[in-house]
Amino acid sequence: MTFTPRPSQTEILKYTGGTLGISAVPGSGKTHTLSALAAQIISSGQLERDQEVLIVTLVNSAVDNFSARIGEFIQARGLIPQLGYRVRTLHGLAHDIVRENPPLVGLDKKFSIVDETASSSMIADAARAWVQTHPDFLDQYISPSLDDYQTRRVRDKDWPDLIESIASSFIRSAKDRRLTPDKLRFALYRQPAPLLLANMGLDVYSDYQRALAYRGAVDFDDLIRLAYEMLNTSDELLERLRYRWPFILEDEAQDSSQLQEDILRLLSGESPSPNGRGAGNWVRVGDPNQAIFETFTTADPRLLKQFRESADQSLDLPNSGRSQQSIINLANYLIDWTMTEHPIPEARDALSPPYIQPTPKGDPQPNPPDDPSGIKLLSNKYNPDQEIEAVVKSIENWIPDHKDSTIAVLTSTNDHAARVAEELKKHKIEYRELLRSTSPTRAAAGALSYVLGYLAAPDSASKLAQAYKVWRRDWREDEEHEPLVEQVTSLIRKFKNVEEYLAPLIPSSPNPFQGIKGEGIGEDKTDEIIAELNSFREVVLRWHGATVLPIDQLILTLSQDIFTSPTDLALAHKLALVLRQVADENPQWRLPELTPSLHEIARNERRFVGFSSDDAGFNPSDYKGIVVVSTVHKAKGLEWDRVYLMSVNNYDYPSNQPNDRFISERWFVRDSLNLEAEALAQLTAAISTSEYDYYEEGSATRRARLDYVRERLRLFFVGITRARKELIVTWNTGRRGDATPSLPFAALMGWWEKHL
Amino acid sequence: MTRITLTSHQLAVIEADPTSKLFLAGPAGAGKSTVGVERLKYLLASGISGDSILILAPQRTLQEPYLEIIQSPERSAGGEATPATVGGLARRMVDLFWPLAAEEAGFAHPDRPPVFLTLETAQYHMAHIVRPLLDQGYFESVTIDRNRLYSQILDNLNKSAAVGFSFTEIGSRLDSAWVGDPGQRRIYTDAQDCATRFREFCLQNNLLDFSLQLEIFLNHLWPNPLVRDYLVKTYSHLIYDNVEEDVPRAHDLMREWLPQLDSALLIYDEAAGYRRFLGADIDTAFALRELCDEQRRFDESFVMSEGIAYLADSLADAIFPIPSPLSAERAKEQGIRESTLSIITSPFYPELLDSIISQIEHLINKDRISASDIVILAPYLSDALRFAITSRLEARGIPWRTHRPSRSLHDEPASQTLLTLAALAHPHWNVRPSKFDVAYALKLALDMDLVRAQLLAEIIYRTKDFTLSSFDEINPEKQERITFNFGNRYSTLRDWILNYREESPLPLDHFLRRFFGEILSQPGFGFHRNLDAARVAASLIESVRKFRLAMEPSFVNLDHPDFDFGREYIAMLQDGVIAAQYLESWKTENEESVLVAPAYTFLMMNRPVTVQFWLDVGSSGWYERLDQPLTHTQVLSREWPIGRPWTFADEEQTNQQTMARLVSGLLHRCREKLYLGISNLGESGFEQRGELLRAFQRVLQEGTTDERG
Repeated sequence: MTFTPRPSQTEILKYTGGTLGISAVPGSGKTHTLSALAAQIISSGQLERDQEVLIVTLVNSAVDNFSARIGEFIQARGLIPQLGYRVRTLHGLAHDIVRENPPLVGLDKKFSIVDETASSSMIADAARAWVQTHPDFLDQYISPSLDDYQTRRVRDKDWPDLIESIASSFIRSAKDRRLTPDKLRFALYRQPAPLLLANMGLDVYSDYQRALAYRGAVDFDDLIRLAYEMLNTSDELLERLRYRWPFILEDEAQDSSQLQEDILRLLSGESPSPNGRGAGNWVRVGDPNQAIFETFTTADPRLLKQFRESADQSLDLPNSGRSQQSIINLANYLIDWTMTEHPIPEARDALSPPYIQPTPKGDPQPNPPDDPSGIKLLSNKYNPDQEIEAVVKSIENWIPDHKDSTIAVLTSTNDHAARVAEELKKHKIEYRELLRSTSPTRAAAGALSYVLGYLAAPDSASKLAQAYKVWRRDWREDEEHEPLVEQVTSLIRKFKNVEEYLAPLIPSSPNPFQGIKGEGIGEDKTDEIIAELNSFREVVLRWHGATVLPIDQLILTLSQDIFTSPTDLALAHKLALVLRQVADENPQWRLPELTPSLHEIARNERRFVGFSSDDAGFNPSDYKGIVVVSTVHKAKGLEWDRVYLMSVNNYDYPSNQPNDRFISERWFVRDSLNLEAEALAQLTAAISTSEYDYYEEGSATRRARLDYVRERLRLFFVGITRARKELIVTWNTGRRGDATPSLPFAALMGWWEKHL
Repeated sequence: MTRITLTSHQLAVIEADPTSKLFLAGPAGAGKSTVGVERLKYLLASGISGDSILILAPQRTLQEPYLEIIQSPERSAGGEATPATVGGLARRMVDLFWPLAAEEAGFAHPDRPPVFLTLETAQYHMAHIVRPLLDQGYFESVTIDRNRLYSQILDNLNKSAAVGFSFTEIGSRLDSAWVGDPGQRRIYTDAQDCATRFREFCLQNNLLDFSLQLEIFLNHLWPNPLVRDYLVKTYSHLIYDNVEEDVPRAHDLMREWLPQLDSALLIYDEAAGYRRFLGADIDTAFALRELCDEQRRFDESFVMSEGIAYLADSLADAIFPIPSPLSAERAKEQGIRESTLSIITSPFYPELLDSIISQIEHLINKDRISASDIVILAPYLSDALRFAITSRLEARGIPWRTHRPSRSLHDEPASQTLLTLAALAHPHWNVRPSKFDVAYALKLALDMDLVRAQLLAEIIYRTKDFTLSSFDEINPEKQERITFNFGNRYSTLRDWILNYREESPLPLDHFLRRFFGEILSQPGFGFHRNLDAARVAASLIESVRKFRLAMEPSFVNLDHPDFDFGREYIAMLQDGVIAAQYLESWKTENEESVLVAPAYTFLMMNRPVTVQFWLDVGSSGWYERLDQPLTHTQVLSREWPIGRPWTFADEEQTNQQTMARLVSGLLHRCREKLYLGISNLGESGFEQRGELLRAFQRVLQEGTTDERG
C-alpha cells in the first residue's frame, strides 16, 4: 500500500513524542494519517516486545478500518502484522482494563455486560415503577393550561416516557461523574433544599443498579467508570498499562467525554508517575466543528480545544480533497459568520478554524473542479410535503443522466427520512435508507430467527416457507435456481397441513406430495420440485430433532445447515453463546420467547463483536445511481457527489430567537422547562462544593438552548461538507406552518447572492 | 494390558522392604505412578492382605490406575485394598463413630443420625439461608451470579477445615489482605456472617457439609484413642499418590499416622499443585518426606520427546523471563522445530475448529496416531464449544469422548419430559408448564412427530387450570390430522394422570418410577425403545431420591407443613441451585477416542498422550484465579501471614506460577507434538491477547531470530 503524505500530513508524521493535538477538517484523511503514524512508531523500533501503540476510536467499524490499515502499512515494511498495536473503542478499552482484575472493583471474574436494549428496558421498568409510586410528582411540573383530557393523556403516556428519558440521562451523567447511588444519596442529603428531580433520578438509579447487581452484570457506562476507578485505585495496574501502551493515538477526539479524557490522561501518564513510566505520549485528532450528538451524551468538544491549547504541539490537517471550491467557500463562510455575526454571542464559539483548504497541486486526492452552479440554496417557501415533492422531483430529473454518481438526501430526523423514502418509493426511484442497510450481523441473526421462528411454531406453513427461503438463501441471486426456490416457497406456503408433508403416515409413495391438501397442491409436479421438497424435508426433520437441544447447541446445529461463510458461522457461534446466557438468566424461556431477542442481541453485541470484516460501516460508492436517505447525524464521515440538505428551518436549526421553539421543552411542562437539563443541573448542584453552583430553576433550560443552538450550527456545517460537487439546501414551514428559514441558512443565502 | 519394562530405579522402589517408608519425588512422566501401582501388586504378591492396604489420593480420578488392580479379576485373595480420599475417609469415620463426636462437636440432636450433605444439597441449604439476607442488602457491592455466591461461601468453610483455621476467622483473614476499594470490605463481613449462620444451621439440624465432616474427623475422632486404634489396626500399609494435591490437614493427619504404619510410599509430583484452588498445599506435602526413611527422586521423563522438553523449557523461560543457562545451551543445539510445535490460525473460530479437525483426521488416517493419543484442550470448555468440536468430530466419524465430568439433567429432553408430565400430575404444585413444554413432552412420551405433538398440545392443554381434555372431545378433522393411533396413546397417558390426581401424591421419585414403568416404557411409548432416554430417566429418579433423602431429615426437624420435595426439586433445578449433574458413563466408555477436555481435567486424569491441541491460547483462563471475589486461595492458605495485604504483584506472580505449572504439567504429558489453535477473534468475538500467547510469541521470536542470524 502506498501512502504519499501531503505536507500537512508529513508534519504530523514527524511526531516522536509528547502531547499533540490535531484539528482536522472534513475529508482531510485523518484516519489514514493516524494509521500511518502508528505504523511508523511500530516499525521505528521504539517499542519493547510487550508494548503496543494504543489507538482509541469511536465506533467498531473504525476499529476494523484502523486495524486493517495499520496491518497493511506494517506488512509493507516487512514486519509481522497484528503485533505492536491495539485498536479499541472506549468501551473496548474499558473492558480490557476491567478484565485485568475485576475483583478490584467488586466484580466477579465472570461478570457479564448488559447491552443497551436490556439496560434501557431495565431503566424503563424502574422509572415506571417510580412514577406509579409517586403519582403526585407530576403536579409539580405540569403546565396549568392543560385541560382534563390533556392532563389524563400526559399522566398515562407522555409523563412516564419523559421520566424514563430524564432518568436515563441522569444515570448516564451520574456514572460519567463516577457517582455511585450511595455517594449521590449522601450528596443530596446535605442539600439545604430538596432537589426533586435529582431525588427522582437517584431513586431510579438505585433501583437500576440493584437490578444489574442481581444479574451479575454491568452496563457500558459502568464499564468506563470502573475502568477509571481501577486505574485510580491500583498504581501497580496503572504502571503496567503505562508500560504496555507507551503511545496513545485518539481519533474523533471531539466526541470525547471528560471521563474518556481522564482515563487516557492517566494511561498516557501525562500526570507525573512514581517511576517515570508514562511518557505522556498522547496524540488526539478530531474536528471540533463536527461534534454532533443525536441523544444525550456526556461528550464535550470544548475538551479537545482545551487540550490543544495546553499540548506540547498543536497542528492542523486543513487540506481536504473532498469538495469543490465553492462548497468549501460556503462551509468556510459558515465558520466566519458564526464566529463574528451570530446574533447570540455565546454561540459564536460553536465553529472555529482551521478553515478548509483544497489539496495542493499534484495531490493524489484532487478536489473536484470548482463549479458555483453546483450550489442551490432554495428560498422557496414550501410546506413539509411540498418540500419533499420538490426534492423528489428534482432527483427524478437528475438520476437518469447520473447513473455513475452518488447522491444523498439528508434530513434532521428519522421520521423525516422515512417520509422522503416513502415518496421516492412512490416515484419508483431506487433508494437506500442508511439506517436500514442490513449488516451481516443482522442478516445472520435474521436468517437464524426465521428458522427458530418456524421451529417455535412447527405447524405453520408460512413460517416453514420462510425457513425454506433461508435455507436456500444462497440461491436467491442465482438465476438458474431462483425460479425453483420461488415455486417451492409458494407451494409450501399453500400446504394446509404441514404434517402431511413432514411426517406422512404412508411414507413410501412414488410422489409423496400427491395427497397433500391445499390449493393447487395435488397437481403434477416436476421431478426437480419433488427432489427439492424431499431434501428440504430431510433437513427440517433434522431440525425438529435438534429442538430438544439447549439453545446454544440448537443454533450451532442450524447454522451448519444455513450458513457457509466463515463470518456467518462465527457470528452464529457468538449468538449461540449469548442466547445461552439469556436462556440461563430466564430459565422459563423457550423458543417462542428466545427468538425475538435474537435481533436485539445482534444489534447491540456489535459494539463488542469484531466480526465485521465486511461490516465496516457504509460505503457510499457502492450505491452509485441509488438515492441514499439518511439523517445528517448518520451521514458523518461519508460523502456524495450530490447532496440534498432538507428542512433547514428555525425548528430543526434554531438560533435562540424569540420565535424559536425547542424540542426538549415539552408542551405539557410548565414554564417551557427542559426537565432533562434541569435534572442534570440539580445533579451538578448536588455534588458541587462551590457556593456559586446552587440550583436555580430555569437557568439550565436556558443553557441547554444555547448548547442546542451550537450543536445545530455544527450539524449544518456537517451537512454542507458531505457534498463533493453539488449541494441543494431547502427549508419548509414546519408542522404548524409558521417556521422560517434558519438564521445561518438565511445568512448563507445572502452571502451567496452577493458572492455570485 | 501391555507389559511395561521397568528401570532399576523403579524396581528398587517397588521391591523395597515391606517395612520401609519411602518418599518418591519427580516431575510428571517420570514413571512414579507406575511405581505406585507396581508396588501395590508387589505387596499383594508378597502375601500382604489387601484389606490392610490403604490407597490414598486427593481425588478419585487420580486413583484410576490403582482401581484397575483392585478391581481386576486376577487380584489375589485376602480382601481388597481400600481406595480412599481423606474426605471420604472422614465421612466413613463420622458415620461409624458418630455417637463419639456428635455432642462434643455441638450438634443439637446427637441422638439422631447425621445427614451428610453433597455439594448440591449444601448449596441448596446455603441458598435458603442467604437469599433473605440478600434482600436485606448483603453483598450489595459485588456483582456475582447467585449460585457462585453460595458456592464461594461454602468454599470458604471448606478451606478453613482443609487448611486448619477456625471458620470464624474467614472474614477477618480475607479482610486483612484486601487492598482495593475500602467500600468492598463489607462483603467479607457478610461472607463471614453467612458462613456462621450456615454452620449454626448445620449444627441445629445434624447436617454435615464437607467442612464439618473433615473437622469432626480430624478434631474429634482422630484424637480419640478408640478411633485411632481402629484405623491403625486396620491399615498397616499406605500408598499415597499425588500428595502434593492434597490439603494441609490431610498432611497433618499423615504426620501423626505415618509413624504407626508398617510401610508407606508417598508419591510427590514436583511441578504440580494443580488443586491449589481447592486448598492443596505443596509445602506441607513436601515436608512429609522428613517422616520417611528414604527419599528417592526420578528425573528422566519417559514421555516427552526432546523437542517437547525443549519447548517446555523455552516456554518456562518466556513466562519467567530470567535467562537460564541450561536452556540457552539447548537453544544453540536446536530451535523450536515444526515437528514439535505447529500453529493453526484462522480469522474466525469455527473455521479454526474445521482446520483442527482436519488435522486430527490427517493424524489418525495418515500418520496412524491412535485417537486416544490425541487431546483437544482449552482452559474452559463452554457447552457450545464442546458441542461445536464434538459434532465436527462426529461428522468425520472420529470417535471422541469428553471428560467434562458431567452434564445437567436440566438439559436432557428426557428429564424435561418427565418433569413436565410430573407437573401435570401434581396440579397442587402450581408449576405450570407452557404449551411449548407440553408439546415437547408429548412428542417424546408418545413418540410422535413435532407437528402433531404441537397440534395436540395446542388443543388439549389449558395452562390456566392444568386441564387435559380428552381426545374424543376434539373435532373430527383435528382428530384425523393427529391420527387415532396417537390419540389412543394420548388417552392412555391422560387416563393414568387423571387417575393419579385422584390418589394421594407419591414422593416424586416414586411417582417417576411408577409412571415410567406403567406408561412410558410400554410398547408404543417414547421410552420403550429409547435406551438413552431410559438411562436419563434412571439418573433423574436417582437424583430426586438422593435429594429427598438428604432433605428429609432436616425438614423433619424443621417446621414445614406444606413442604413438597418434588416441587422444591423442580424449582431448585430451574434456579440452577442444584445442577443435578450426572455422569454420561455410557458415552465415556470408548477409550479409543479423541479426548476433548478442559486443561485441568486432563491433568487430573494423569495420562500422557502423543499430540495435544491447545485452544484459546490468548485466554486469561490459563492463569486466572476463579475463586473470586468472596474467597481467596492464597490468602486463606497456611503460608499466608495473617494481615499481609494481597497486592497486584502477588496476583501477577501467582498468575505466572499458575500458568507455568499448568503449561509444564501439560507438556510433561505430551510425547511428541503440540498444536496451537489461534483465531483472531475468540469464541465470543473478542480478540484475545493473554499472557500465554505473549509467552509463545517470545518463544517464537527467539526462534526466528536464530534462523535469521
